[in-house]
Amino acid sequence: MSSPLEQVTSQEYKYGFVTDIESESAPPGLSEATIRMISAKKGEPEWLLEYRLKAYRHWLTMVEPEWAHVTYQKPDFQKIVYYSAPKPKEAKYQSLDEVDPELLRTFEKLGVPMDERKALAGVAVDVVFDSVSVTTTYKERLGEIGIIFCSLSEAVREHPELVKKYLGSVVPFADNFYAALNSAVFTDGSFVFIPKGVTCPMDLSTYFRINNKESGQFERTLIVAEEGASVSYLEGCTAPQFDTNQLHAAVVELVTLDDASIKYSTVQNWYAGDKDGKGGIFNFVTKRGLCKGRNSKISWTQVETGSAITWKYPSCILLGENSIGEFYSVALTNHKQQADTGTKMIHIGRNTKSTIISKGISAGDSSNSYRGLVKVQPKAEGARNFSQCDSMLIGQKCSANTFPYIEVQNMSAKVEHEATTSKIGEEQLFYFQQRGIPAEDAISMIINGFCKDVFRELPMEFAVEATKLLSLKLEGSVG
Amino acid sequence: MASLTETSLLSDLLAEPRPSTWATLRQAAETSLQAQAFPTSREEDWKYTDLKALRDTSFRPGKLEDANISEYILPEARGTRLVFVNGHFAPHLSNTSALAPGVRMLTLACASEAAAGLGSLARPETSDPFANLNHARFTDGAYLFVPKNVRVEAPLHVLFVSQQKGSDATYSLPRVHVVLERGAQAQLVEEYLGQGHYFTNAVVEVHLHEGATLSHERVQRESKEAFHITSLAARVDRNARYVCRTLSLGARLSRQTPKVRMAEEGAELELNGLALLDQDQVADTHSLIDHTVPHCSSRQLHKTIVDGQSRGIFNGKIFVHPGAQQTDAQQQARSLLLSESARVDAKPELEIFADDVKCAHGAAIGQLDPEELFYLQSRGLNLKTARNLLTYGFAAELLAAIPVPSLRRQLRRAVMARTNASDLEALA
Repeated sequence: MSSPLEQVTSQEYKYGFVTDIESESAPPGLSEATIRMISAKKGEPEWLLEYRLKAYRHWLTMVEPEWAHVTYQKPDFQKIVYYSAPKPKEAKYQSLDEVDPELLRTFEKLGVPMDERKALAGVAVDVVFDSVSVTTTYKERLGEIGIIFCSLSEAVREHPELVKKYLGSVVPFADNFYAALNSAVFTDGSFVFIPKGVTCPMDLSTYFRINNKESGQFERTLIVAEEGASVSYLEGCTAPQFDTNQLHAAVVELVTLDDASIKYSTVQNWYAGDKDGKGGIFNFVTKRGLCKGRNSKISWTQVETGSAITWKYPSCILLGENSIGEFYSVALTNHKQQADTGTKMIHIGRNTKSTIISKGISAGDSSNSYRGLVKVQPKAEGARNFSQCDSMLIGQKCSANTFPYIEVQNMSAKVEHEATTSKIGEEQLFYFQQRGIPAEDAISMIINGFCKDVFRELPMEFAVEATKLLSLKLEGSVG
Repeated sequence: MASLTETSLLSDLLAEPRPSTWATLRQAAETSLQAQAFPTSREEDWKYTDLKALRDTSFRPGKLEDANISEYILPEARGTRLVFVNGHFAPHLSNTSALAPGVRMLTLACASEAAAGLGSLARPETSDPFANLNHARFTDGAYLFVPKNVRVEAPLHVLFVSQQKGSDATYSLPRVHVVLERGAQAQLVEEYLGQGHYFTNAVVEVHLHEGATLSHERVQRESKEAFHITSLAARVDRNARYVCRTLSLGARLSRQTPKVRMAEEGAELELNGLALLDQDQVADTHSLIDHTVPHCSSRQLHKTIVDGQSRGIFNGKIFVHPGAQQTDAQQQARSLLLSESARVDAKPELEIFADDVKCAHGAAIGQLDPEELFYLQSRGLNLKTARNLLTYGFAAELLAAIPVPSLRRQLRRAVMARTNASDLEALA
């Protein structure tokens, strides 16, 4: 009898379809000309082009990092399409009716149809469809209280002073190989600005979707919360099934001033490749938040279930006194997936606090690594960190690794790190089964219990989605 | 980047003629050395440890000299002691008159049977340049052998003394090779001390056969100007038990790289360490516990106390190979920061390729608990005494388990002196 712990996932990727929309693409390849073309297409000001070119020239001097615990065929950067925009049937959409019906159907298949989203009270969605922002809902309502929520390209046109001030202030273009690449070729993304004293009345949300075959997607997200402002931002991702690996190198920058807070939640479910590791997304993302002001707070919550390779370290720079950084993560890998993910908490200011809760689940032939840095600088009087990194292994061919770096240069700091590794025990399963609960359900319950500390940080709809996603991903693999 | 052999340290060292014994080992090590660059902080393994001072010093080989070791003689090991001065065997200071029948404790140069085993655990093809340097140029060392089912009561004491003579810094390449046959039991004290400016670069190999038990105390109390690097490679066979404690008190820069292979089922390991640092000392521990087979258990506790501008580094990896089910591995790293400018870097790592295992690690870095200080003060101790007592207590946990009474007393006194807790001597 094959015990439930032994049957392995054969779940087909549910969202694997290609929307047939004529797109306007640049030829593959990267050069200064490509960058000038992207910039010109988007009608960008001179300073932004200069920024891109500086980043590009710097990128040329850099080498791809190899320290992560992943192996993959390095992408050929000359084969990637750096710009692809859905061809507008009309210049601008005023309402949903004008949007390409093909596109709407795509979202419907994804389970996030526009209509439903409209009905989902309190969620405004900025849809990035292959690099260009198509439509933005609730914009006007938010605008009334001074919140800017739009695509980055629009922000460049409408609010250049804000973009100029904050773009690259948290992740400089020279930061790392993929951040430099992104700074050179980013096409679009979201821009959020919450003015002084405003609490955003609804969760802001973006669904990213990589659609055009061979188009790398290079989003750039910038969220700024001024003094006393607060916002919760959701990012959800699904992508259609392709055989060639696709590169995704996004940069997300968050800035909080005095007493401000940003909560950033992600559910990532991109195509992970098939059972033999063919295809799948390369997810090389730089996400970083700067707690610039006193008493400010940045919280990252992520549920990572997709992508062939994940290389992602949402981080917090705790500069302001009493500022708080949080990182809650569930990373699930199955089949041949490889994930090297974690966080960095850089304590610079006095009395800064950080919490790291990371849950890794590996199944199949996958490899799942937590890599984190907690750094307490000499002036970070009274800094406090607590980290907990738990791993669960399902099956005998997967691996779970923990690489925490702890650097403490202040004697009043208190830093604690704990990590454990465990499996779903036959005894636990037996207990459930003798109570009449089928093995599949039992596993789902055990996994959800294991991830509870993270799921409860997610906004309601996401928590439901994430729970479903985990069971879906592990279907048959456990048991 | 300068190649390893181009740096002054190594070019001087390698200019020495290569000893003719153990030629295969030396040849392999030299081949590895030629391909290696001098480690820099860009390499993950040396990220936190700056070797500039070592690289910029040139060393001359030390000569056999007389040394006063009376302070360090262990009464329990009066007739089971080997002493080396500046890397050379010192027969007049050694005494092996009390060895049990069949037990061998002698120099490598005299132990012809050791030839085959040398370098079999600490392999010359590894990426550790300092171990390779030792392989390539060592001249002598200690060989310890305990035959089947023999239990050695007296602790075996191996003492490496270094002395700088004149203005030139000296180096030595000590070597210890330990073999315990099936069911053998022993205690070993491996100790390093000295005066002045010098470099000790040792390789230690320990092989415990089925059911053997070794309790291994490793005491590093080199002079405060010394450099000390030791590579330890151990192999623990079926149902054997290895208890290893490393105490790092001396040296301006020290590095310990214990690598223990749990080679057969039922092997047990306890790998503990204490680094007590002040001024500008740097102590680095890079350990690897390698679980290659099922049903082994390992416990690791590493403690660091940093004062002054000192720096403690701990990088401990637990590796569980595919198929090594039922592994039970626990690792704890605790650090105590006593001064504003001291620094601790910790990196406990788990790499796990088997699903049915119990593995956990924890790392905690902090200062003395204000509540504990308050408690002691409420009992009438002044703040200074309370601090010293708690600091001593933090270290004492590891000293308490040392099985050789005279050594335990010696080290307690040394730790008390360092933690300014001498007025608490009555407690010892």
